Amino acid sequence: MDGWLNVGALVKVLVFGIIAGAGLPALFALGVRTQAVGAGTIGGQHLAGDRRPLLTAVAYVCFALVTVAIVTGVLFVARDFIGHHTGWYILGAEAK
Amino acid sequence: MNESLIILSIVVVTALAFDFTNGFHDTGNAMATSIATGALTPKVAVTLSAVLNLVGAFLSTAVAATIAKGLVDANLVTLEIVFAGLVGGIAWNLMTWLLGIPSSSSHALIGGVIGAMLAAAGSSGVEWKGVVSNVVLPAMLSPLIAGLVATLGTYSVYRTTRGLEERRTERGFRIGQIGSASLVSLAHGTNDAQKTMGIIFLALISYGSVSADETLPPTWVIVACASAIALGTYLGGWRIIRTLGKGLVEIKSPQGMAAESSSAAIILLASHFGFSLSTTHVATGSILGSGLGKPGAQVRWNVALRMVTAWVVTLPAAALVGAVAYAATAGIGGLAGVLVVFAGLVAGSFAIWLRSRASVVSHDNVNDEWDDRPSSRRPAVAGAES
Repeated sequence: MDGWLNVGALVKVLVFGIIAGAGLPALFALGVRTQAVGAGTIGGQHLAGDRRPLLTAVAYVCFALVTVAIVTGVLFVARDFIGHHTGWYILGAEAK
Repeated sequence: MNESLIILSIVVVTALAFDFTNGFHDTGNAMATSIATGALTPKVAVTLSAVLNLVGAFLSTAVAATIAKGLVDANLVTLEIVFAGLVGGIAWNLMTWLLGIPSSSSHALIGGVIGAMLAAAGSSGVEWKGVVSNVVLPAMLSPLIAGLVATLGTYSVYRTTRGLEERRTERGFRIGQIGSASLVSLAHGTNDAQKTMGIIFLALISYGSVSADETLPPTWVIVACASAIALGTYLGGWRIIRTLGKGLVEIKSPQGMAAESSSAAIILLASHFGFSLSTTHVATGSILGSGLGKPGAQVRWNVALRMVTAWVVTLPAAALVGAVAYAATAGIGGLAGVLVVFAGLVAGSFAIWLRSRASVVSHDNVNDEWDDRPSSRRPAVAGAES
């Protein structure tokens, strides 16, 4: 390493950190909101008969994307282990 | 049983003791917010975290047989230096635990080893540039990055769910919070247990019972390290959990979810992009950010300031203990030196534990109202509401 600080890595951590670390909670919150509105409830009033299935579907897409991200995170933590035991080197793992 | 085998055994025991303190010192990084918001009961939270740390420790495979790589001259590292470094790390971890301050366990260990190296070989044994660029600068930057990400996350979560009843959103956010906190625990087990495995591996190589060509430590090392960190996590550093969960910010579950997501994302990204940082600094920055991002929330800056002070002091303080421990070990020499320092460590640890009994923080009172005077924490009352 030439410089005192690995600026490239730092910027990558910051940019992807914002996308994943702030974006995913936002996406999850969007899911919570669309689910609540889709079920016909907002602001404490239950508007019976005003269900909106499309929004409910959007909610589940949001939750699914967040789940995929978490599963990816777990696979990332386990990538060397998986590679070592199965030979499948994923997510940047390398044979050692 | 010859002398060097006894020394090796003591080093291994000390390394496992460090691993144990590492576990209970860092439980709060992952679980403090879930405990504070009531997403998990204290007991369930530490059990979950312990199990995930255990699993995480078994996930680590290739263990680098280096300690403090790029920070000290690897050719000069001896078993005595490693031992003295561990003593410094344990001493500082216990001191900060007594004060309820979340400080970095890795920094404590690194500081201890640097101090021991300074005492052994002088300034030339330490790679100062590596220390600054791999330890000091990341330590200053990582809480800022984590804080920024958590602030953005928290703000957008509150913005998105504005106008919704808390009753309807609470459950969802609790689930999200538990998921992201679990990921932090798993990553912690993988990264931190690996450090101790590396130390024991190194000790075994220097003793000659393991070949340096081996890529994996013996199974008993993995099992012992995984168990030590999991046991430490399970016992829960309640004092530190309390500071993180109640002291810095009053946390609601949307904030908790945003904070843990930020921590998980940054810890994983940093390990992917080769930017070394401390889990503790990231977690603390994230929790602070979750206080900044919530409209109307309050951050207790005096608590944050105490914490930052402790972070700054961690490296030199652990280094001092490491240096003294090395001087004593080498000064007395041989097995006697190691035994004397080890006895000193045990006595010191016991004294700190006795001191901690004066104001117990446990799963019973971890969530009590924060009264801002750390010295006047009420002792635990049996059956107190948590």
